[in-house]
Amino acid sequence: MTLRFMRNKLVQVEPLQEGRLSVSWRSEDDLLCAEIRMKVRLPDLEIEAVEGGVSRSVHPECAGASSLLAKVVGVRVGPGLRKIVHGLLGGADGCEELAEGVLECCNAVILNFTLPQIRKTERGTEEEKKERFREMLRFNPRLVRSCVAFADDSPLMQGLDL
Amino acid sequence: MIGFSRSMLIGAEFVGEETIRFHGILEDHIYAMEIRMDVEVPTGAIRSIQGWMKRYTNPVCPKAVEILQRAVGRSLREEGWISWVNREIGRNGCQHFAEILIECGRCLDSARLADALRGDLERDLRIDLADRARSWVRGDPEASGRCMARPR
Repeated sequence: MTLRFMRNKLVQVEPLQEGRLSVSWRSEDDLLCAEIRMKVRLPDLEIEAVEGGVSRSVHPECAGASSLLAKVVGVRVGPGLRKIVHGLLGGADGCEELAEGVLECCNAVILNFTLPQIRKTERGTEEEKKERFREMLRFNPRLVRSCVAFADDSPLMQGLDL
Repeated sequence: MIGFSRSMLIGAEFVGEETIRFHGILEDHIYAMEIRMDVEVPTGAIRSIQGWMKRYTNPVCPKAVEILQRAVGRSLREEGWISWVNREIGRNGCQHFAEILIECGRCLDSARLADALRGDLERDLRIDLADRARSWVRGDPEASGRCMARPR
């Protein structure tokens, strides 16, 4: 059966030499094309610059959404981010697509830092791998109880008091 | 050089008049996962769901596949469905399955609108798409007030 609708999203994080991350996000589907380019300053993870908008939409009103993006400059990737971004970009006068796009950019920033930690857990014996996961949890307590693998009854949580 | 990259692909096919079948694929430097689910159009209820973990980080992750079944019967139209998915499918199962499910759910109304507009275009290539989209949004009380393109 043929598809009647298709959405394709891509987010990429590129570390830059001057202590910044460049993040690009694009969402394209039958109805809409939206794009965000963002610079995030390290080490405080502050959104330093952002540009983009909706370049194609069946709703002409979406063309006005690009001016909203500047509102997230100065926001830090950290606790409460979802509420802050939806407060700034969401609602009846906002743009749900761009709000989600900003959040997906920020999530990709976090995963960019998680990736090397995950790579460390891929080496060694099963017990060594488990211990590296526990080290990761001690370093990132926000992961505790975030999914089935880090639930209280998970074997990865044995011996941890977090 | 790119440090991290993620792609998410959602496809929607209509199985009969009242069911949309979503295929959602997530692929990034860490994870590779897929969901297929059938959603009843009038109610938004999830009729069936299957998940595949193709790349994951530890041996506990696949336990989340069976937790996806908790979504059967839940509606993608009910108030707070996204929070429910994040909590029950994400926190109790896998956050990445939750992300795919939520993206599929967000595509539900877009798929309906795209299908309606395509039908209109097939009948008359000269139609004003923006005008048709505006009428469609006006006729959907759930969409009202959601964003600048869907005013109250």
